[in-house]
Amino acid sequence: MSRLEAKKPPLFISEPLTKDAVSQSLSLLSGLLKSCYGPAGRLKQLHNGVGGYVCTTSQSSAIFSRLSVSHPILRVLTASVQNHVSRFSDCGLFTAILCCSLIENFKSLSIASCTVIKISKHLLSLCMDYLKSEVCGCRVSVDFCSLETLRCLVHSILTSKPACMLNKPEVDHLTTLILKAFMFTVPCHVETNAVLGKCIIVPVKGRRVLDSTVLPGVLIETPEIQLAKPLTVKRSCSNMIKIALFCVSMSGDLFNPEEGTMTVHHGISLEMSELNQLLNVGKQLVSDEVGLVVCQKVIHPSLKQYLKENHIVAVDRAGLSLMEPLSQMTGSKPIGSIHSVSPSSYGSLKDVCIESFASKHFVHLIPNDTVVCSLILCNRNETAWDELKRACETAEHVLQLTIKEPLALLGGGCTETHLASYIRHKSCSLSTSTFKDIDCSQTQYQLVADGFCRSLESVACSLNHDDGEILTDVVYGHCWFVPSGFPSVSNLSDLVSKCGCGINGNSGNLNWRLLQGQFGSPIIQGCPKEPSGKVADFLTLDCFAAKCSGLQVALETANLILDLSYVIEDQN
Amino acid sequence: MVQNHTPIYPVETGVYETDFGFKGSYNFLKAITSPLFVSITYNNDSVHLDFTTYCPAGGDLRAVLVPEPLRPPLTAPGVEFVVDSEGQYQASLRWSSSRTEALMKHLQRNNVKLLLSSVKQEEVIIYYAKLYGVSVVECLSSEEMALIREITGVSPYASFGDDIHREITETAVAAFCEPLLLGSQRCVHVGFTSVCTFQPHCLILCGPVDGVNELHAAALHGAFTMLQQLFKRVDQREECRAEGESQNEAAGVGSWHSSATEKQLTIEDIFCNTNRVSERQLKTHKGETEVQIVDPDLQGSDSPACVQTNLQILSNPTSHIKEFSVATEGDGSSRDIQKLCAKCERLGDSHENCKSNSLVANQKNYSTAASAVDNAIVITACERLDVGKDLEKTTCNIVPFKHGKSCVSIAQNYSNILIEAGSVLPVGGYFEILLHYYIQHYAKQFQQSEVTVISNVVADALLSIPKALYRTTEQNSFTKFYLKAINALRKNQPLPMTEKGLESVYCKYQLVISVLHCVTELLSIDLVIGVKRPLQKIEDNDSEDDF
Repeated sequence: MSRLEAKKPPLFISEPLTKDAVSQSLSLLSGLLKSCYGPAGRLKQLHNGVGGYVCTTSQSSAIFSRLSVSHPILRVLTASVQNHVSRFSDCGLFTAILCCSLIENFKSLSIASCTVIKISKHLLSLCMDYLKSEVCGCRVSVDFCSLETLRCLVHSILTSKPACMLNKPEVDHLTTLILKAFMFTVPCHVETNAVLGKCIIVPVKGRRVLDSTVLPGVLIETPEIQLAKPLTVKRSCSNMIKIALFCVSMSGDLFNPEEGTMTVHHGISLEMSELNQLLNVGKQLVSDEVGLVVCQKVIHPSLKQYLKENHIVAVDRAGLSLMEPLSQMTGSKPIGSIHSVSPSSYGSLKDVCIESFASKHFVHLIPNDTVVCSLILCNRNETAWDELKRACETAEHVLQLTIKEPLALLGGGCTETHLASYIRHKSCSLSTSTFKDIDCSQTQYQLVADGFCRSLESVACSLNHDDGEILTDVVYGHCWFVPSGFPSVSNLSDLVSKCGCGINGNSGNLNWRLLQGQFGSPIIQGCPKEPSGKVADFLTLDCFAAKCSGLQVALETANLILDLSYVIEDQN
Repeated sequence: MVQNHTPIYPVETGVYETDFGFKGSYNFLKAITSPLFVSITYNNDSVHLDFTTYCPAGGDLRAVLVPEPLRPPLTAPGVEFVVDSEGQYQASLRWSSSRTEALMKHLQRNNVKLLLSSVKQEEVIIYYAKLYGVSVVECLSSEEMALIREITGVSPYASFGDDIHREITETAVAAFCEPLLLGSQRCVHVGFTSVCTFQPHCLILCGPVDGVNELHAAALHGAFTMLQQLFKRVDQREECRAEGESQNEAAGVGSWHSSATEKQLTIEDIFCNTNRVSERQLKTHKGETEVQIVDPDLQGSDSPACVQTNLQILSNPTSHIKEFSVATEGDGSSRDIQKLCAKCERLGDSHENCKSNSLVANQKNYSTAASAVDNAIVITACERLDVGKDLEKTTCNIVPFKHGKSCVSIAQNYSNILIEAGSVLPVGGYFEILLHYYIQHYAKQFQQSEVTVISNVVADALLSIPKALYRTTEQNSFTKFYLKAINALRKNQPLPMTEKGLESVYCKYQLVISVLHCVTELLSIDLVIGVKRPLQKIEDNDSEDDF
């Protein structure tokens, strides 16, 4: 009988947000995340004391998946952000910083949390209505007929990940590759249900980023293939290559018998029997004019030899992850039996050749329809490669989200400051019935709205990691960065050339004010205007869907945390 | 393709029955994480783990439930498979494989496009399924299998019959079957055609964190339970029938009178049902206590008069309000309650039992009061909800009572029903205020001090609910609310209502009974003994003989 251990009483924390420890951890986390934000963000190196793998990153997904957060309140925050990232890949830091900032700002107000929550929900609905409306001044529509806005989107994602260690030509090169890869995955002939293909990232570490490339089709690493010999593949009558895809092991191992006993008489070798069966399959493949055999698992050397003699290329150990793209690309059905192979399970390929990158050799399967492609991604070291892979995946995901909703938001802090000035303007012109509906006073509403706007602005401010000033203009409500080292007395308009996203130039008299002078921010403000034209070649753009979701997640999570009056932790 | 399909989110399954013919089923209530607090309700479907293999199929399709591996085994427990030649071995394997293929062909011929398997199937099965356009979902839990069986009425498919060519009858019809992306999670979305009286639905809850979703799912379960309780009614006649002889007693008396008597009888009946433990305790006591059980009956016999006075009191506003305000000013009343509680505890064992009687009696009387004495308002016979009717519409359809009606006529209207099915009251402490008000009046009719004292304790304890409700808003708001409500009651005016929500009277009724039962039990305990070992449940055999 097991011994019973006395249960520990649960840990009971009332009003957790008022506790110093929580405030300290929250501001520590907030500071850490802010320092990562943007193209000039500082890198974080994550490793454990006993050595091993080191991760250098500034991306929220990498940080949150490795960082252990102890306090339950912060765990709510990180779980929320991780859920957001799992759905949208992008805007994780934005969400986390905004959430921390909202908690800090709302906590400092002496208003009952239920009132704060009601008001902030109303503010969120104002923001969402504005972002989704045609008049929204901080979004641009994405035209898929030209590559320009798409380039801006991908470019912004790559430059905002400084741990990838890319220089400008490398960013340009990768932007092109990512767009090319994305275009491959869009099917040419769309029926009712369009399904995007897949871009497989093939790691080549230790090479220059500029060596990266995109190829249509699938690459399977084959260490044993000899480069010297040109690959001769048998073609069927229509000049296509027939491919047979096996998901079952062809190693000649015996299948696992079920329960019960199997008695084998003396002199009978089941292994031989299995091998014979494999060779029978080989014979069938030969007679069916198959040119290429790909097996997810291992192929028996004898069968390999037999196939080779009959000019069939055999590739084994393809791995589970390649099976679905291979099946999608060739139209073949993975064969799960070596006892009867139906000819209807074969697929077809346009060509097969051998490629090599660095010291790795690959069999390159070139399809007729290029919905599946391979991005051969090179970077100098493993950590930078990992970071780059995450960035490329994010970019691909963002493009997929954008094709669903062809909109983008202005980046570089401009959406945040623009939204803040819109809310400041809007909250002054609300009718009294609104306050009655929310059950709050106008003053309370103004205070919460101000906290909300300051939180948005603080996200824009976290883009700045040096001592420079951050301005916002009264006309467009955009965000302007003043490089450090200028005396504060000088005329602000002389110091800025273009706004954070690059859409507005310094056309004089935009009536700048300091963004960080938070306490005396001017209230009188008209509705921010839509920008008239664009100045820079490259706009900084953010994914619309990801940022909208980030805004909502940040606010809803902040409300959730503000609403917690007790934390009860089971210590058993 | 070998893939492990493990459910990532908690999957909750349940079929709920109510006594008015509605059978609500919420299957696979999944908590899916997403940024928006939105719930989407799909009709007629079930959402599950991902497909092992998916073959798009249009139009109506058939699905079979597979409880076992489909590949014919060569051996089985207790069966010996003797291999005497390589040819025979290979032939056996080929047989097994061809048999699998024949099975899939057979399924395809029968328009079966979906296999729902509770076990993991072998690669060969997946291969042939794909070849013959059959989608496969593996590793369904036993709850899910049971639910699908209940919805569709099919039994699991037995594949190894002697005749593979017989027609497959164990098929469920589905309108569609497709993958569905929920958040970042791919699910299987099957539109089963239900053979039951209900249509299965999936409710997808979204929230920023899993924990929140679990809370929402729990709240939803609660709401369902509440709705099912809402349509229960407390029928006086039925309960009287249960207590046959008492009814005879009441027979022959005028309808109004009899109803009053019955009320008392019902009280007694319910008391016996709910309070079995204490009843048993009572039996172990001496005759003294047994006399007290009879007590309510005696009260019942002269209750026509009681009720009459009661109604008179109501129609002639009296000055009880002064007492209340004294009780509620400052925090005096809560102290009062404590004092009274302390007083109660000092009452002897036999009194304890007497109290439990009267406590429950008080409560029961209220439930009549809710309909009969209610001069106030809203006890409403909400239209009985038909299945499939728009819930929102019907719940808003509250028919307020006409206040001018004489109490007697109301009492007559409701002489058979204590609580009408679907009765609701506005939220915000009105139930408690009404019950409080009624119990205070009820207490007045007794000259015995214990009943009055205990009634007042219960009445005051009820006020702790509105007190807690109005604590968060500005100060003194409870006092304001209380005075307003009591004034309205006194003047026979509608209660001032601001809240939009409603609560089920039946649920409240059950709640008060449970609370009183619990309190009674707690107060009856005179010793708490700590034991080190976990208590073992002893079967309920008559252990009295042991002593």
